[in-house]
Amino acid sequence: MHDARDAEDTRLLEASQFGLLVESYYGVIIDRCRAKVRNDAGAIDVAHEVVARLLAELKRGRRYRVPFRVVVHQVVKWKAQEHFQSVKVSEELERWLWRASTESDESLEADAGFEALLEGLSELEQSVIRFHYGDDDLDFQEIARRLEKTPNAVHQIHYRALEKMRKDAA
Amino acid sequence: MNEGTALLFDEFATRYRGGEGPDVLEYLERAGDDREALAALLDRYLQAVPTREPSEEEVVLMQARLESEPALLVLRRRRTLTREAVVSALMTALGLDPAKSDKVGGYYHDLEVGNLDPKGVDRSIWDVLADVFKANAQGLAGVRPEPPAAPAVAYMREPTGLQAKLESAAAPSAAPEPAESDEIDRLFTAGA
Repeated sequence: MHDARDAEDTRLLEASQFGLLVESYYGVIIDRCRAKVRNDAGAIDVAHEVVARLLAELKRGRRYRVPFRVVVHQVVKWKAQEHFQSVKVSEELERWLWRASTESDESLEADAGFEALLEGLSELEQSVIRFHYGDDDLDFQEIARRLEKTPNAVHQIHYRALEKMRKDAA
Repeated sequence: MNEGTALLFDEFATRYRGGEGPDVLEYLERAGDDREALAALLDRYLQAVPTREPSEEEVVLMQARLESEPALLVLRRRRTLTREAVVSALMTALGLDPAKSDKVGGYYHDLEVGNLDPKGVDRSIWDVLADVFKANAQGLAGVRPEPPAAPAVAYMREPTGLQAKLESAAAPSAAPEPAESDEIDRLFTAGA
């Protein structure tokens, strides 16, 4: 699902096109900051800090052993936390960035990617979420046909899955 | 989480993967008391799926913050347009008296640097600017650079580049005060 994106990011990194690389993430950075901060002015402030930090790290030569999108999402998480706690989380963020630039540890990517969305869900719930929100992009009618369920049953499974995802995210 | 929130999430996700940039804050508002639940779900979803392309307005907004410049100025530079070209487009599109182009230029300058309240600007001006810039100029016009933090040393006398820009922006308008308001004044200030 992320292969094309990761390949393009690698190309931009190798070409030292840091501005373009970070710019391509502005949309999701602002979206996530809005979801976390819940007001526009505060969200834009946090998004600005995220972007400035990402650019600063790249310009001083930091390179990562995880996909760049994973780094983006981590910096959003830490900077939003800093916004709410009114305390600097720079040491923790620095530790994570250092690990991401020196280690190939799968746990660093635990929060990112589509598979993370499916954690904690039953097999049936995973199927519904994967069919509906994944590359298949199927509607509930089609999912019902494939899973040999009624559309109403699929709606119920979908709702239960979202409820679990929400609880897990909270 | 109520079922309405699940439907809102599904609607957001459908639009997002369709390449749109649905407004997160608008959805949270629609969720009412359940906004915490929706925010948690949206945040998780946005981490998991491929990112959308940023809008031109978002790019300009963030560049303006990074460069400490007014957003409308950044937008014009991204379009590699001179201020004169924008003024000329306004004059032509609105059929204004060519003798008043300096006055329009003065107002446009004030608008661009944030010295003119965008709320007072007539819809027709925004329509022309949207056409010239191919972006939501109205939405960006109110975005001014963050003021710099107070200087750490009290004896620092030279203003920083940004302070100079802000002071310049706060200076009285370059547009001459007419004895009577005319069409140009109305177009740039009537809504204020």
